[in-house]
Amino acid sequence: MKRNHLPFYFIAGLLFIAPTLLLLVQSFTAPWRFQRGEGLQFQLNSWSLLFSDPNLWSATLWSLVIGAMVLLMNVFIGLTSGKALALYSFQGRTIVESLLLAPILIPVLAVAMGLHLFMIRVGLADTWVGVVLIHLVPTVPYSIKIFHHAYSEVGRPLMEQSQMLGASVIKQFLTIELPLLRTSIRSVTFLTIVISLSQYAITAIIGGGQVITLPMIFFPFLDTANASVMAAFSVWFAILPLVMYIVVEGLLQLLPYSRKPWRIQT
Amino acid sequence: MRLFRNKPWFLLLPALLFLILPSYGLATAILESIRGTDGFTGEHYETLFASDRFTASFLFSVRTALIASVLSLAAGVLLTRTFSGYLEKNIPRLSVWLPMVFPHLVWGYIMILLFAETGLFSQLLVSLGWIESSNEFPIWTRDSNGIGIILTYIWKEIPFVILMLFPVYSAIPRSYYDLVETLGGSRWDQFKTVEWPRILPVLLEVFLIIFAFTLTAYEVPALLGTTFPEMVSVLSYQWFYSGSFEDRPLAFAAMTGTSFLIMLGALAAYLYLNRKRMRAMRGRL
Amino acid sequence: MTIQVERLSKKFRIDQVLNSLSFKLEAGEKMSIVGPSGSGKTTLLRILAGLEIPDQGTILLEEKDVTRLSARKRNIGLVFQQPLLFPHMTVAENIAYGAHMNGKKTESTVKDLLAAVNLTEASAQFPAELSGGQQQRAALARALANEPEILLLDEPFSSLDPNLRQDMRYWVRDLLDKRGITSIFVTHDREEAMLMGDKIGVFHEGTFQQFATAEEIKRNPRNPFIVEFFDHHLLLNDQQYVHIQDIQFSEPSGPCITYEAELLQTTFRFSEKVAHLYVKEFDEKITLPTPDDDLSKHIELYIPKDAVQHFQSDGKCNDEQ
Repeated sequence: MKRNHLPFYFIAGLLFIAPTLLLLVQSFTAPWRFQRGEGLQFQLNSWSLLFSDPNLWSATLWSLVIGAMVLLMNVFIGLTSGKALALYSFQGRTIVESLLLAPILIPVLAVAMGLHLFMIRVGLADTWVGVVLIHLVPTVPYSIKIFHHAYSEVGRPLMEQSQMLGASVIKQFLTIELPLLRTSIRSVTFLTIVISLSQYAITAIIGGGQVITLPMIFFPFLDTANASVMAAFSVWFAILPLVMYIVVEGLLQLLPYSRKPWRIQT
Repeated sequence: MRLFRNKPWFLLLPALLFLILPSYGLATAILESIRGTDGFTGEHYETLFASDRFTASFLFSVRTALIASVLSLAAGVLLTRTFSGYLEKNIPRLSVWLPMVFPHLVWGYIMILLFAETGLFSQLLVSLGWIESSNEFPIWTRDSNGIGIILTYIWKEIPFVILMLFPVYSAIPRSYYDLVETLGGSRWDQFKTVEWPRILPVLLEVFLIIFAFTLTAYEVPALLGTTFPEMVSVLSYQWFYSGSFEDRPLAFAAMTGTSFLIMLGALAAYLYLNRKRMRAMRGRL
Repeated sequence: MTIQVERLSKKFRIDQVLNSLSFKLEAGEKMSIVGPSGSGKTTLLRILAGLEIPDQGTILLEEKDVTRLSARKRNIGLVFQQPLLFPHMTVAENIAYGAHMNGKKTESTVKDLLAAVNLTEASAQFPAELSGGQQQRAALARALANEPEILLLDEPFSSLDPNLRQDMRYWVRDLLDKRGITSIFVTHDREEAMLMGDKIGVFHEGTFQQFATAEEIKRNPRNPFIVEFFDHHLLLNDQQYVHIQDIQFSEPSGPCITYEAELLQTTFRFSEKVAHLYVKEFDEKITLPTPDDDLSKHIELYIPKDAVQHFQSDGKCNDEQ
C-alpha cells in the first residue's frame, strides 16, 4: 500500500518549518515591502548591526552561563529523583510524585513575586544565582518527569545485573546509567535551555534589571531595530540551544561505551 | 536495612529542597495577598473584585487561555493521529519539534512578521490586489480580542501536544483497530473505544499545563496584547512594579486568585480520572 | 566454595516468603530448586545474591558470613530469566564488564569465554543483533567472566523455545561441570530440575519440603506435597502413597485395593501409551502408562496392598544438614 506523503510534508512544512525559514530569510534581506512591488533584497547589515551591539554579547554570555547552571542543576535533581521514583517503592511515592510535578501548574510569576522579598533578604536578588534559582521552577518538574520515565525504561534488573558484576555505585552510574540516559539528557538540555531563554518577567523580577539576559534586551530591541535585525536576533535565540546541545553532546562522548556508532536504536 | 529503606528519600533530597522554592514563593504570595496593616484582611480581594480593570482582565485571560488550549489540543490530536506513522522517523519528527527551539517571545515576533497590519500577509494581499491598502487588513496583533496571543500559543503549543501524545499513540497496538473493525465499528468507534480512553489522562494533563501556562505567562501578552483588556499576568506585573506600594498586594491577590482557579481545575481533573479508574477497577473485580 | 544457609527467613508484609530455610552445598555441587510458580524461589536467589536482605538467618560462603555484604562485594554470579545484556555494549564488552569493574585483566578470559559459548564470531555485535539463545549464552559468559565462586541461575532458559532450551540445558551443565562451579539452579520445571541439579530442593511455603537427589525423591518422597508435586506416585491419603508403576490395570493375585476410574483420553509419551484418568475416589486426574491394548471407558485400577507406602517422618524437612 502506497501512502501519499504530500499532506504530511505540506502541513509540517507550513506549520513547523516555514516560520523558521521566514525568520532566516528576513534576517538576510532588507525589511519587506511587497505591497510596493519590491522583491527580496539581500543584505548582511542586520547581522553586523546585531553583533556590533555590546549588549547582545554580554546578554548572550549571561544567558549561556545561567542556562548552563540551570541545566546542571536540572540534570542533578532530575537524575536523583527520577531514579528514586522509578526504581524504589516507598510510602508516599505517589504524593511525592504529584508534588514534584505540581510546579508545572503553579504560575511562575506568582512564585517569583513571592520569592522576591526572600531573595532580597538573603542577598540573592539582582544576582545571577537568584535568576538561576527562579529558572529552576519552570524547568525542574519537566526534567524529573523525563528522567523518571527514562529510569523506568532502563529498569531495575539491568542495574542489579551491574551490581552483581561488582560495579561500584559510581562505576554503575558512569557505565550503565548515564550512557543509557543519553537521549533523555539531550531532551532535558533542549528543554531547560529554551525555557530558561524564554523567561522575561521572572528574570526581570529576581534579576532586578541587573542581570541582563537575551529576553531582557528583546523588548528594547523591538522598539528600535527594524524587522531584519529583529529576525536576526530571533534566529540568534535558537542558536544558543544548538550550541548548548553540541557542548553536551561532546561531553556525552567522553562517557565510557559511547564512542561506538549506535547501530541499534533503543 | 535502615539505609536501604531510606535510600529513595536520600535520592529525593535535592528535589525536595527544590520544592522549597515554589512552595515558599506561593505561600508568600498568598500571605502578602491577605496581609493588612494589622493582621490578616480580605480587603485586597475586595478591592480586586470591585475593580473593573481586574474583572475584565480576568475574564479575558480565562477566555483567551481556554480558546488557545482547546484549539491547540484539538489540532495536536488531529495531527498526531493522522501522522503518527511519520513521527517514528527521525527527520519528520525533528521537523515537527522545530518550533520548540524558539522561546515564546520569538514565536510571538513571528506572528508580528506575518499578521501585523504591515506584515507579510497584509503585504501579499495588497500586492495581489485583494485589498486596497494595509489599513484594510484586520488587526490581529495587539488586538483587543487576543487573536494574536491565541494564534501564537496555538502554533507554539501544537508541537508540545504532539510530543506528549505521540508516545501514547505509538503504544497502541494495531490489532485493537482491527478488532474494532472486525466487530463492525466505524472509524469514529475506533477513536472512541481504542484511542480516547488511552489519551484522555494525557489530554487532561496537557490541557492543564497549557491552560495554566497561557493563563499566566507574561511574555507573549506583553508583546502581542493591548492595554485593555490585558492578560492578568501583564496587569499583575504592572501592579507589582507600579511603584506605589498599595498596588503590590493587588498583584499578589490577582496571582493567588488565578493560581486557585488552576488548582481547582487540577483537582477536578484528578477526581474525574480517579473516579474513572475506580470504575475500571471495579469492573475488573 | 561451599555455601551454607542457616534458618533464613523473609517476610513481605504478611507473606512469609522464606521460613527458616537451611541447606548446605559442597564445592562443585550442583543444586536445583524447584517449586510452584510464585512460591518465592526468586526471592531466595536474590537473598543469596545480596540483592535483598533476609529478616533472619545467615549465609556463609566458605565459613565467612556474607549475610549483610552488598551484592557488589559478593563474588556470586547471577543469570536472570532475561539475558539483560547492556544494550550499549558489544558482546565482548558485556562479557568483559564484570572483570573490568574489578580491575582484572580481561583479554584472554573474554576470548576463552567467547569460544566456550560459541560467540567468537559475534563478539563485536550488539545484543539487539543476537538471537535469544545467543543472548542468553552471552549473559552466561558474562556471569562466568568474573570467576564467581557460586553461580545462581534463575530460570535462565524459560524465555527460549523448547528445542533450544533442551540444548542449552546439556550445554550449560557440561560447562559447569568442566569448570567445577558450585551452582544453584531455580526452575518450576521438574524435568529441568532433575537435569540441572545433583540434588533437588523442593521449595514450598518458604522452605524445602525435601532436599535430596532425584532418585531419593522418587524412592522416598517425604510428604504429601512432594507426592502431589512430582508425578511419580499416587497419593492415597495423608499417610499413604503408591508408586505409579505399582498400579495395575488387571487384578493381581494378592490382596489389593480397587479404585474406579474414568478414561478421559489416551496419548503417547516416549512412544508409550499413557492414559489420562479421572479417579472419582480422589476427585483427581492422573496419568498412567498403560498396556497397549484398548481400554474401555470405565476401568478399575488395582493396587497390591504390599505396594502401599507410608511417609516415614512427620512430613517436615529440617534435618539432613
